[in-house]
Amino acid sequence: MKRVSIEARNNWQASVEKLGFGFHTSDMPYWDETVYYQFDLSEIDAIEKATLTLWDMCLEAVQHVIDNKRYQQFAIPQSFIPLIEKSWDQDHPAIYGRFDLCIKNNEIKLLEFNADTPTSLYEAGIVQWFWLKDFDTDKDQFNSIQEKLIAYWTYLKRFLHTETLHVTCLKDSLEDLTNAEYMRDCAIQAGLKTKLIFIDDIGWDEESKQFVDLESEPIQNIFKLYPWEWMVNEEFGQNILKAANDPYWIEPAWKMILSNKAILPILWELYPNHPLLLPTYFEAGKLKDYVKKPFLSREGANILIVKNNKTLEQTNGEYGREGFIYQELFTLPNFEGNYPVIGSWIIGQEAAGIGIREANNLITDNKSRFVPHLIIQTNPTHPHKYLSEK
Amino acid sequence: MKKSKTIELVLITAALAACNDPKKPEWNDNNKVHLRSDTTAPYTRAHSNYSSGIGTALILYYAFRPMGNFRNGRYQSAGYYSGGIAKGSNIGRNSFKGSVARGGFGRSGYSVSS
Repeated sequence: MKRVSIEARNNWQASVEKLGFGFHTSDMPYWDETVYYQFDLSEIDAIEKATLTLWDMCLEAVQHVIDNKRYQQFAIPQSFIPLIEKSWDQDHPAIYGRFDLCIKNNEIKLLEFNADTPTSLYEAGIVQWFWLKDFDTDKDQFNSIQEKLIAYWTYLKRFLHTETLHVTCLKDSLEDLTNAEYMRDCAIQAGLKTKLIFIDDIGWDEESKQFVDLESEPIQNIFKLYPWEWMVNEEFGQNILKAANDPYWIEPAWKMILSNKAILPILWELYPNHPLLLPTYFEAGKLKDYVKKPFLSREGANILIVKNNKTLEQTNGEYGREGFIYQELFTLPNFEGNYPVIGSWIIGQEAAGIGIREANNLITDNKSRFVPHLIIQTNPTHPHKYLSEK
Repeated sequence: MKKSKTIELVLITAALAACNDPKKPEWNDNNKVHLRSDTTAPYTRAHSNYSSGIGTALILYYAFRPMGNFRNGRYQSAGYYSGGIAKGSNIGRNSFKGSVARGGFGRSGYSVSS
């Protein structure tokens, strides 16, 4: 893994806007093509293999949590437990997730799993791909996100209640809208009939006990870019438990277990000393150098990094009332003050590609940049440690 | 092995390109905008978000979307609805709109960015 500085394309803003990528810059650049990361094929193979292994481990962990009724450790509301179990037992449709990985010193470590509402799907699947087409058509990229999304929607189609898929997201965020519309684009290409409805336009018909869209069509299958932890804590969300038509929420309710950082100590408990995991606990005091993370937080909020009993970095935010986990410190690799996190996508049951977020701090926050990557075809003299151990 | 073959987008490029307008809207607080979606509902002043936001995506935000239902193969209009204006300005005395509660989701955050 190597960081390479380059010249950005002339008028790159117009190039990405042509793709429908409108949030490339806020107060500072979010899309950054003055740099890319270069991987060799063995590193990519290792990431792919690690992603599949982690996915298997996560599914085992969900089964464990359900079998042993460990919901209290996740601060999941009691009333939603039957829905979680039902969605798991009946295998309600799920489509994707993003593992955030740290790759350093030939090791791959899981930092967390965005299993419910992962974003940067569009940047990873489309924007960086078209960058590569302009930059170097001979090079490859770990990116089959588009094909795998279409293929998996095609597969899921037969299991949905109807062929109409509603897609919903928040209204005020162009980033959210772009991710949701991209998902809808893929579902359309898979042959589904789709309807976009903003999350606050969703109606609840008290007479028929159904969620309805603006044309009063009952919502039967809905892809939601809106987290479960928000839905279950909003009064309106209590209607989910009363819905007479039993709609499929995608991602399904059982993802509440995986999108909660409480899954990290459970994974460590089930797979102690696994090379892809970091020691992680519910209790403070078991680790000297650690990262304290809230069960539920976004964009690096409310994170505390402690080394040698001293605070190394800390962020503020509004999260943490549900509880915290303590994960052994495994600092991100430092490329001259730039710290990359690898977001590795699982789509259906397959590893589908990566996207890289780069920050100027150890904590990847909302000021981090999305940077593209490519693969070079070489035969490294030192195979990747995780790969060689398997 | 890793490479995508052909990528085609059927929806997103056209739809979202229209949302990207780096120019700030020129509205200011002196422009008082009053809206209603249902002719039986009262006008209320649009809230302050009207003068900020994400360029022409505001058009999406304040769009009045047709409401109605299909019964016996016929579409029956129930008027219009906009999530961008006050609840009272949406419903009026329209009985269909009155039986459906909206606006319950979406209050926990402005973006799910992860």
